Amino acid sequence: MTNLRKSSSALRDPRWLRWGLLTVALVFVGLFLVLPLLAVFGYAFEKGLAVYLASLVDEDARAAIELTLLVAAIAVPVNTVFGVAAAWLVTRFAFRGKNLLLSLIDLPFAVSPVIAGLVYVLLFGAQGWLGPWLAAHDIRIIFAVPGIVLATTFVTFPFVARELIPLMQAQGSEQEQAALTLGAGGWSMFWRVVLPKIGWGLAYGVILCNARAIGEFGAVSVVSGHIRGLTDTMPLHVEILYNEYNRTAAFAVASLLALLALATLALKQIIGWRMRHAMPEQDVA
Amino acid sequence: MSIELSDIRYRYGEAPALNGIDLSIESGELLALLGPSGCGKTTLLRVTAGLEFPDSGTVRFEGRDVTSISARNRHVGFVFQHYALFNHLSVFENVAFGLRVRGWRLRPRRAELKRRVHDLLELVQLGELAQRYPAQLSGGQRQRVALARALAVEPEILLLDEPFGALDARVRGDLRRWLRGLHDRIHVTSVFVTHDQEEAFELADRIAVMNKGRIEQLADPQTLYTQPASPFVCRFLGEVNELPTALHARWTGVDAADVTAFVRPHDLDLDADETAIAPARISAIRDLGPLIRVEAEHPLLSAPIVAVYERSRFPIGRLAAGATVTPVPRRWLLFRGEQRIDAT
Repeated sequence: MTNLRKSSSALRDPRWLRWGLLTVALVFVGLFLVLPLLAVFGYAFEKGLAVYLASLVDEDARAAIELTLLVAAIAVPVNTVFGVAAAWLVTRFAFRGKNLLLSLIDLPFAVSPVIAGLVYVLLFGAQGWLGPWLAAHDIRIIFAVPGIVLATTFVTFPFVARELIPLMQAQGSEQEQAALTLGAGGWSMFWRVVLPKIGWGLAYGVILCNARAIGEFGAVSVVSGHIRGLTDTMPLHVEILYNEYNRTAAFAVASLLALLALATLALKQIIGWRMRHAMPEQDVA
Repeated sequence: MSIELSDIRYRYGEAPALNGIDLSIESGELLALLGPSGCGKTTLLRVTAGLEFPDSGTVRFEGRDVTSISARNRHVGFVFQHYALFNHLSVFENVAFGLRVRGWRLRPRRAELKRRVHDLLELVQLGELAQRYPAQLSGGQRQRVALARALAVEPEILLLDEPFGALDARVRGDLRRWLRGLHDRIHVTSVFVTHDQEEAFELADRIAVMNKGRIEQLADPQTLYTQPASPFVCRFLGEVNELPTALHARWTGVDAADVTAFVRPHDLDLDADETAIAPARISAIRDLGPLIRVEAEHPLLSAPIVAVYERSRFPIGRLAAGATVTPVPRRWLLFRGEQRIDAT
């Protein structure tokens, strides 16, 4: 195997340029990524560990954490199932409107989350299309947990599908056809052939989806109504605390989100590494 | 189990891939589908397997109509051109796959399954490699795993898509003879697709030559070679000189203007003849070891005339580059357009 990462010496830039670019990159990363991250933890612990912990076990903070986890626990599995189904559909079948479906999958990436939230308000809110009907049946969506789940699901919709589609396209369907001729039904084909093939890619998509589900602010902010202890997720709770000049508590909760981000990055690295190593090189004989 | 295909038609979008195929394959036969790429041979194989459904026509196994039955339930062994092994499973698990996915009533018990997989691995001479993964095997070994996997479900029909296409020449020859031997032992009705006429001739009982979605001729190798039904079959089965009337009438006795004589290079002599009326000039002589190949240019022909001599028969000294020669056919086939005509 040739090492593709080793670049040709003919392409090597002069020393001053290399060091210059490196310095610019490091200063940039330090200023915009490392420093803010340090600041989050610095402010969180500025009044000591006891205050930090007290901010986290506070009743409203705990409610926000629980709600955030609940929302992620619904949105992530839903989008996982949808993502796998959509990727299968797009990569294994030819049908009219396939390109439209592909574009629609990307829609949540293209639309501002605030607009996404507003759309749900217009649909399900008291003045919205379905508002009167929902009110008549005593179903609350906007300014309640279902609205938050809906908005989060919308925003995190593309992650799994986007990760799987190129992977499944590259793998082709010959192994599935082989499984079919060996008598495998849809279910055993999925568990025994498809899932092992896409496993790491799926895991990658799921953790990205999860990170976004927990961190989503814009769309959730519009539909939540900011009712403390009821419809506050962690990012919203951080904002409320900060607006109340409760800086330490705000950064304590924010530090949890930052930790989650770091854990996601680490997982992403590990899975990325596994993905590259789990796939034995196919020799093109 | 016999296979009867009748009036199979299939289109990819606008282009017809199969244009009314009728073919019956006897039980226990080894049949080759031979043709250039794009002639529909792989599509026909996939239709037989149930991986594609024809637009019209019927597929029957032993008289039973299976046209609308999916590949899953046709009980046909299929070997893919690029093997399509399950990369995440060991060789053992690849072969066991077809047994493991059965309903629990039909699934063999653990000891029985193990015995059967090992028997199959012995059959394909891969007993020691059971715990390896496909990525650790050579092309020929992968091909045999694919074969064992297909045979594990005890199919009565075995379909192979370009089974040796991805292998290098030496391995291909060995595996070919080995497969013929295997077929003679297990007698499963087999159909394989190939674009290599040598492969088809060495392996098959009968060969269906396909062109543009039709079967041009179905016959045993000898008949196919000596009695080709069309110019296409004649050309496809190996190099052939196409001599116009002016060049063959003197020997064939047929001087109708629209008759072409097809002459194999080994049925043609190039006689040194300074006084020839329509002379050809030798442009190249190539020594191929056992054979010597001579090419000559003729003003009436765009392609060179080719003669092949066995080494011992080669008239050393009389033929040299630049010499003037007359092509003398010893055996020929006559075609008027697409139609074979018998002169004698």
